[in-house]
Amino acid sequence: MYLYQIRDADHFYGDKQVLSIADLTIASASITGLIGPNGSGKSTLLKLLGFLEEPTYGTILFQGRKAAPFSKVVRSRITLLPQEPYLMRRSVFDNVAYGLKVRGDTSGLRDRVGEALTMVGLESENFARRKWLALSGGEAQRVALAARLILKPNVLLLDEPTASVDANSARLIRKASLRAREEWGTTLVVATHDWQWLYETCDSVLHLLHGRLFKGGLGCAVHGPWRIGPNGMLHKELEDGQLLVAPKPEEGKHMAVLDPSRLTITLPGKDILPERDRNKLNGFVIRLFLERNGATVQTAIKVAELVITIRMERNKIEALRLYPGKEISVSYAPEKIEWF
Amino acid sequence: MNFIQEGFAQAVTLLVNFDPATYSAISATLRASSLAMAASLALGIPLGYLLGFLDFRLKKQVRIVVNTLLSLPTVFIGLVIYALLTRKGPLGEMGLLFSIPGIAIGQVILALPIVVALTATAVEAADSKLRLTLMSLGANRRQIAAGTLWEVRLGILAAAVTATGRVLTEVGISLMVGGNIKWHTRTITTAIALETSKGEFGMGIALGLVLLLIALAVNMFLAGLRRRS
Repeated sequence: MYLYQIRDADHFYGDKQVLSIADLTIASASITGLIGPNGSGKSTLLKLLGFLEEPTYGTILFQGRKAAPFSKVVRSRITLLPQEPYLMRRSVFDNVAYGLKVRGDTSGLRDRVGEALTMVGLESENFARRKWLALSGGEAQRVALAARLILKPNVLLLDEPTASVDANSARLIRKASLRAREEWGTTLVVATHDWQWLYETCDSVLHLLHGRLFKGGLGCAVHGPWRIGPNGMLHKELEDGQLLVAPKPEEGKHMAVLDPSRLTITLPGKDILPERDRNKLNGFVIRLFLERNGATVQTAIKVAELVITIRMERNKIEALRLYPGKEISVSYAPEKIEWF
Repeated sequence: MNFIQEGFAQAVTLLVNFDPATYSAISATLRASSLAMAASLALGIPLGYLLGFLDFRLKKQVRIVVNTLLSLPTVFIGLVIYALLTRKGPLGEMGLLFSIPGIAIGQVILALPIVVALTATAVEAADSKLRLTLMSLGANRRQIAAGTLWEVRLGILAAAVTATGRVLTEVGISLMVGGNIKWHTRTITTAIALETSKGEFGMGIALGLVLLLIALAVNMFLAGLRRRS
């Protein structure tokens, strides 16, 4: 059974629709990555999954049942680490122990706080009595994570947990979160731009664009201005003068998205069979990242101001002899470009 | 200028010699203001929390009313409470006119808007991430309210200090509702008014200094609380 099932959930802040999820399931004890530009709805989705807010329309089932904010199952099993965690004006010990105290579960509190702090790489003797304001940004983030881990949650929702911390804190945060899954079977949902999170640790990655899930992997969003070309198609002039051609959007849609699964990579001038309905963009590889399965590689290609990320078979990478800096061409079918 | 020096000397004499009339006034002042502050904080903190925390229709209008009540003249409160508690008034049967609880009721009306307004401001100014944090750690609604109030405790302490100062030093309510009855409802401020009207400036200054000493003691206690938190 799925831990979460979302069907036709729409969420509004005032008149503005911020999220529209037609269908989403999350399996128990899985790690799900959430990626998307600022304002794409990642934090809102995490709040809905944490039942801190209810969707304006639609339902979210947790363990097959409808749940609501403040319900017992939500309060005892799900916790969220916000992007900028708030530490209460108390000692580190009291911050970490708060969740257990509100549950009335205070047996062996000192030891449990110590264990939680150790999990995030903080020594209890040095940190437990410190005040909230005597911590660095990375320490504060780890204390906030310890306050969640001490609850041994079924679901741990992490909103950009490593966005504003140093590499060591990021490593410790990732390690502690993964240990929660290993030891307690905790389901993790992580909003992040950290490739290590997304492709080394996540079982699946969801891409949010304008509050909607993009099904074709990491879509590349292209914003205007657009002008109407001679053939009635829309043209976007990229910073280096190349033209991106797209069909006219439906009413109310403003952002074109290149679906990486519909793109083809070739070496410049090496097309065997040039296709009539395909256009080309020239760019170069900026990053190659081997995925956890060892068989596929996330390949980031810079085309003018755009970064297009395409999942490629490892043997294709080897055949094309791709490396960061190598010039390549990306071909696309203008008619297949989607609008959001 | 002699009467000012006399006043200082007399203040010390009154306190050191345990002057019964002075200590009776001190006692009446402390009893009335303690009762008033206890009731004001008990009512005002939850009301201030609700006003600051909740979003509801007419919230702005309620805030304007509360802020307007901050300017209530003490003699007007005294007049209204007198009218309510007098024998012919709707609460006359309770026998609270010319009593310490009667004075305290008037002082609650004086202090309550201060506590409500400043608590609401402190709650509104609390970090918007606080509620999310408390909720995500499993707090229920009651625990969120308690957690929020604890986080803004310095703001609430400021509300208590301000309201205490206003209650300790008011004269209109004590005079009109208490009646300035010696050994019974004569507070320090009403005693000062009386002594001044009799031309006993020295005595008036002495009582004023005693009032300042009480205010100093109360504020030192609250400052201690602030340091601890």
